[in-house]
Amino acid sequence: METLDVVLITGRTDKQGVTLEIGKTSMDYYESVAVVELNEEDAEKLGLNENQPVKVETENGAVIVRCKYSKSVKPGLAFMPYGPWTSLLMTHNTEGISMPSYKGVKAKITPQEEKMKVLTIEEILDQFIRG
Amino acid sequence: MGKVLKDVVCSFCGCLCDNLEIAVENGKINPVSRACKVSISRFVNYNKDRVPYPMIREKGGLVKTSLDEAINKAAEILSRANWPLIYGLSSSVCEAHRKCVELAELVGGVIDQTATVCHAPTILAFQEIGEIHATLGEIKNRSDLVIFWGCNPLDAHLNHFVRYSVTPKGLYISKGRKDRTVVAVDVRETRTTRVADIFLRIEPGKDYELLSVLRALINGKEIDLDKVAGVSMEEIRELAEKMVNCRYGVIFFGLGLTMSRGKHYNVMAALSLVRDLNKKTRFVIIPMRGHYNVKGAGVVLGWQTGYPFAVDFSRGYPRYGPGEFSAVNLLANGEVDAALILAADPAANFPVSASKHLARIPTVVIDPKISMTSLIADVVIPSAVSGIEAEGTAYRMDGVPIRLRKIIDPEPGVLADSEVLQLIIDRVKGVR
Ligand code: SF4
Repeated sequence: METLDVVLITGRTDKQGVTLEIGKTSMDYYESVAVVELNEEDAEKLGLNENQPVKVETENGAVIVRCKYSKSVKPGLAFMPYGPWTSLLMTHNTEGISMPSYKGVKAKITPQEEKMKVLTIEEILDQFIRG
Repeated sequence: MGKVLKDVVCSFCGCLCDNLEIAVENGKINPVSRACKVSISRFVNYNKDRVPYPMIREKGGLVKTSLDEAINKAAEILSRANWPLIYGLSSSVCEAHRKCVELAELVGGVIDQTATVCHAPTILAFQEIGEIHATLGEIKNRSDLVIFWGCNPLDAHLNHFVRYSVTPKGLYISKGRKDRTVVAVDVRETRTTRVADIFLRIEPGKDYELLSVLRALINGKEIDLDKVAGVSMEEIRELAEKMVNCRYGVIFFGLGLTMSRGKHYNVMAALSLVRDLNKKTRFVIIPMRGHYNVKGAGVVLGWQTGYPFAVDFSRGYPRYGPGEFSAVNLLANGEVDAALILAADPAANFPVSASKHLARIPTVVIDPKISMTSLIADVVIPSAVSGIEAEGTAYRMDGVPIRLRKIIDPEPGVLADSEVLQLIIDRVKGVR
């Protein structure tokens, strides 16, 4: 399957703020945070439909989220709201100053079949954090 | 409609808007005016997804227990640990921060707060270069050039534009928006860049270069390049001229600077630029702080221990160690053997390698709401929502302390963060 190299930026969105207050385990939070925004040109290159699952992969890990078309990122850039899904992609290397790099991280985007599931918070806890 | 309260403070983001009108009736809260949409969600949903009762982990699952039992267990975990971590703080009030410092000293642990993963580089840069500062009131009244660098208030600090920085009329800004030039510097188009008068779209990780070139230009140096950081020299010259010729400029900056390659060097470049601009005009710089009292956490730690974050008490006196006594490092390296998390959710935000260790060690969570961290904790103690069910002091992003009000009673038996911490402190003293 075709893969695209991008630079990944994470950040806040207003939807994330609104749904956070409804609850981290809510569907609203899941739907608005477990996403990656790609430029339409890039999405078309990969033959991606809006909302199709994609794998985002960095040196530190990989996660499946849903693709959103966006005009706000240029080709070659991808944006994800901060949260449990981005935490699977980040290094703990803080370069001696306490903070990992959450922005400007090299990543690969690979389209996934519709049946590939986006993990819920509970599933992330079970598969990656607990035990 | 029930009673309408005026001048209520919103305890969500670092804007700490203190002019909300809120209706309270039959245990329901409805913002009437001035709350932004995140704030409305906070007030309307304040009672959703709450920690229902104190819980402790037994045979793998969290089970209901009494507050007394939960406090006992928390005190036992912290006193038995060799090197516990106390972390979070920024979504609670200063009264609770003080108790956290007391507890950290008592158990010989480390205390760190969420700035460690957002504006830590800013704090380090302030310590290096210094900070030319103003209150948001001054910006509102005087600032005719407003630059948003690597931040997006229209998504993260929704009322910032209308209350402080862009649209309000001020003493020397009689026409409001028309009297201000708004500039946005970002790697992507956002709501903020769309309404700015000038948008510089910069290549990711190139902030340091652009800031340095601006500084060279305002110091009268010639630059022999066509483009820097993906921005044409023409645009950069135009911005440098605007900076020098404004009456009162401000740079608001966010995690776009602190979280990208260069981190504290980026902020140092911005602070140096602003320092040099003050030879020509008046210019200030303010970090956009996220959680409503993350500024307060730094202030309280600063005044109680001498250091704003990453402070270790294992030798009985405070030692400062960013990158060494920072939560992410301590967890990822597996160095701490217990944790108390107050009003924060590291399991949702830290790199997963750090969260894994948190799940392994005994962890106490004090939080009004269910968080990911509470789901892996060994003791979970519910608390009142500060600014809704409990009063207290918080610091706005510009360092102005504001008193949060209690507008509704918590459920019977649910205590404020500082009260829960006091019980744990008393119990630790008794246990030892
Ligand atoms: S801008 Fe921030 S403090 Fe003001 S109402 Fe919105 S969330 Fe609350």
